[in-house]
Amino acid sequence: MGLTSGLFGWLTIIAAVGFGALTVWLWPRLARQRPTRIAARAGLVIGGQALVLIAVVTLLNDSFGFFGSWSELLGSGTVRQVWTAGAGTAASPARLVTITGSSIGTTYLGGSALHLSGGQLATGPGASALTARAGAGKGAGANSPARSGAVLRITVHGQYSGISEYDEYVYLPPQYFQPAYARARFPVVLALTGYPNDTINLMHLLHLPAIAARLTGAGQIRPAVYLMLNPSVALPRDTECTNIPAGPQVATFFGRDVPLAIEHAFRVQSARSGWSVIGYSTGAYCAAKLAMLYPDQFAAAVGMSGYYTAARDRTTGNLYGSSVAYRNENNLDWRLRHLPAPPVSVLVASSASGEKNLPGTLAFLHLIHPPMRGFSLILRHGGHNYFTWRRELPQALRWLSHLLTPALPGSAG
Amino acid sequence: MPGLTSRTLLYLLAGLVLVAWVGLIWGWPRLAGRGAGRIALRATALAVAQATMLSLILVAANRAGNFYSSWSDLLGRYSGGGRLTALHESRARSASAITVLGATAIRVPGRPRDTAVLERVRVHGQISGITMTAHVYLPPGYARGARAGTRYPVVVAISSAAGSRTSPYGSARLAASATREILAGRMRPSILVTLRPGPGTDRGCVNVPGGPQAAAFLTQDLPAAISTSYRVAVRPGGWGLLADASGGYCALATTLTSAAIFGAAALPPAGYQAPPGPPVVPHSPQFARQDNLLWLARHDPPQPVSVLFTGTTRAAAPFLALARAPMRAASTPLATGPWPLAHVLDWLGRALGPGQARA
Repeated sequence: MGLTSGLFGWLTIIAAVGFGALTVWLWPRLARQRPTRIAARAGLVIGGQALVLIAVVTLLNDSFGFFGSWSELLGSGTVRQVWTAGAGTAASPARLVTITGSSIGTTYLGGSALHLSGGQLATGPGASALTARAGAGKGAGANSPARSGAVLRITVHGQYSGISEYDEYVYLPPQYFQPAYARARFPVVLALTGYPNDTINLMHLLHLPAIAARLTGAGQIRPAVYLMLNPSVALPRDTECTNIPAGPQVATFFGRDVPLAIEHAFRVQSARSGWSVIGYSTGAYCAAKLAMLYPDQFAAAVGMSGYYTAARDRTTGNLYGSSVAYRNENNLDWRLRHLPAPPVSVLVASSASGEKNLPGTLAFLHLIHPPMRGFSLILRHGGHNYFTWRRELPQALRWLSHLLTPALPGSAG
Repeated sequence: MPGLTSRTLLYLLAGLVLVAWVGLIWGWPRLAGRGAGRIALRATALAVAQATMLSLILVAANRAGNFYSSWSDLLGRYSGGGRLTALHESRARSASAITVLGATAIRVPGRPRDTAVLERVRVHGQISGITMTAHVYLPPGYARGARAGTRYPVVVAISSAAGSRTSPYGSARLAASATREILAGRMRPSILVTLRPGPGTDRGCVNVPGGPQAAAFLTQDLPAAISTSYRVAVRPGGWGLLADASGGYCALATTLTSAAIFGAAALPPAGYQAPPGPPVVPHSPQFARQDNLLWLARHDPPQPVSVLFTGTTRAAAPFLALARAPMRAASTPLATGPWPLAHVLDWLGRALGPGQARA
């Protein structure tokens, strides 16, 4: 029974209500004013409270998608699978990304609306195959990818890090499926969630593809491919996009493996001027860090409600091999003080009122120096929640659109 | 109405919880009678007690996590964006990554059109901040291929003897050997870059935490600089490494951890259980493992690289035993005579070509 299944949710509610009913029924038996009876009353109320709390927390988890499964909540905190290419063969690039589902529009609804599966991807000269197959039988009707775009659910395998991520998503804009853009290569926005998060929050709660689609339709931004990933590759551990000594090389996964995989599977740009990262909370730290560690892969990063130092707490464990010096290297403020500034553009967002991270954000911002470029987006009010980030997205996406190389219709790339 | 994140609200709720719980547990007997009215009262009192406690917990959690900063925030009443400002308007002029300090022609008797060039350059690493001198060998036909836009794979030769005229790993003899192999058709025309293992003391070209970022120089700065100034073939894993004992750890470590850039390496067999010099991070078992290349080969996912150990099979046995697909490993002794690295260069040319590398 899944952690986020309706069945489990109802079970917690029934348990809480049932225990309450039990308490009401047992009431008269505990009516005598004796210490043991009084203690029993307290016990029943506390027990019932615990069950109510569990039901409420379960409901909150269903709504906010902190943990999508039992293994994410209670797992061992190791990467889900170390993928090997198989004996005797070099990895076929097409298998670095597997499509496990698809929906037309800006959110994933389950199923496979585009009838794609497994290795049915379009690469290189056959790029129009995805367009043709997606459009076949649907024409240019209201419910076609060429009008509404499509979200694919994918599995990404890291060729170098061996890390795999399941149930991640990529939004392909309507233009991706239009004949005029059949050979065009699109810029990529890699979107990262916070911690702990279910990747689907990027659609259900952040509304990222929907907001992007609205802005593109209004001509305010240029079409891009939105890659939606979870920065936590080994939930429940918070790996903070770090290359952990003698552990998972998570920075390599996002900085090298993911671009390689996506470039093989989709018609996207390969130069750094076509790649960017955006994230909130832990995703903001990851976005800035990935751009700073891999300026040869990413030209721009947006961090919303982020922190820019090196985290270490119960959920991260020992990320730095017990080395203060290595921890410093993962502290973005420290890097700006001690290492050359990388040639990237970073936009940091926060709120003047309502966010604890404002001082840290401003500290990071003011450490930025050429050739790195810093930008800030400060709201008047806003807390650490999706309302805030949805309000920051239009300006953030417009900022990214100006910096990234656009897809050119009628071109060969 | 007290603010959502105010202490007032917290104390208020705490007070309500106290009253509700004490009242409930102490007043229990009063609600103990029979009848639907009594039962309804009990349920209500219980629900109130639990609701106030729940509210207190949720408000406290919200304060701790700063999720919703006010009632308006909670209800989604804020709207609109904010001020977007740029910190710096001016762009810094970035220094040129490659400065050519001199060039030597390598002429082949009887073949005036097949002149190779050996340049001495300074490479400025913009990411690592490291600057090093190096030699860049451009194969015969490089200049002629400019119009056709011919691109070349790159082999980086790492040795403390990089500047030597007598060592087979020095730039001069490598250039001569490569020219000979290329003109004989045994080696694919390639660009060679010869340099020392790192600035200052040799630490095996790892990124020393708090110290020189030698790996960043080798895997990010050098490829970027060379690719900007020369016509380099673009292919994941399309660069190769060649090293003697002084550069062996660097070459193997780089191949095992940066296979996205370096897909082939030729180096002497050795233990490689620690980088040269003192421990990179003392007292860290994790770094000791991470820097132990035998441990890496055993525990990391196998990388899509080809490694040629230039020595005896027995000496190379520990790594040969660990190589699993898609990693390929083999060994070959150095040749005797004036061209000990000729067949190694040939192998690198094949390993970096399109298609399967044959170890």
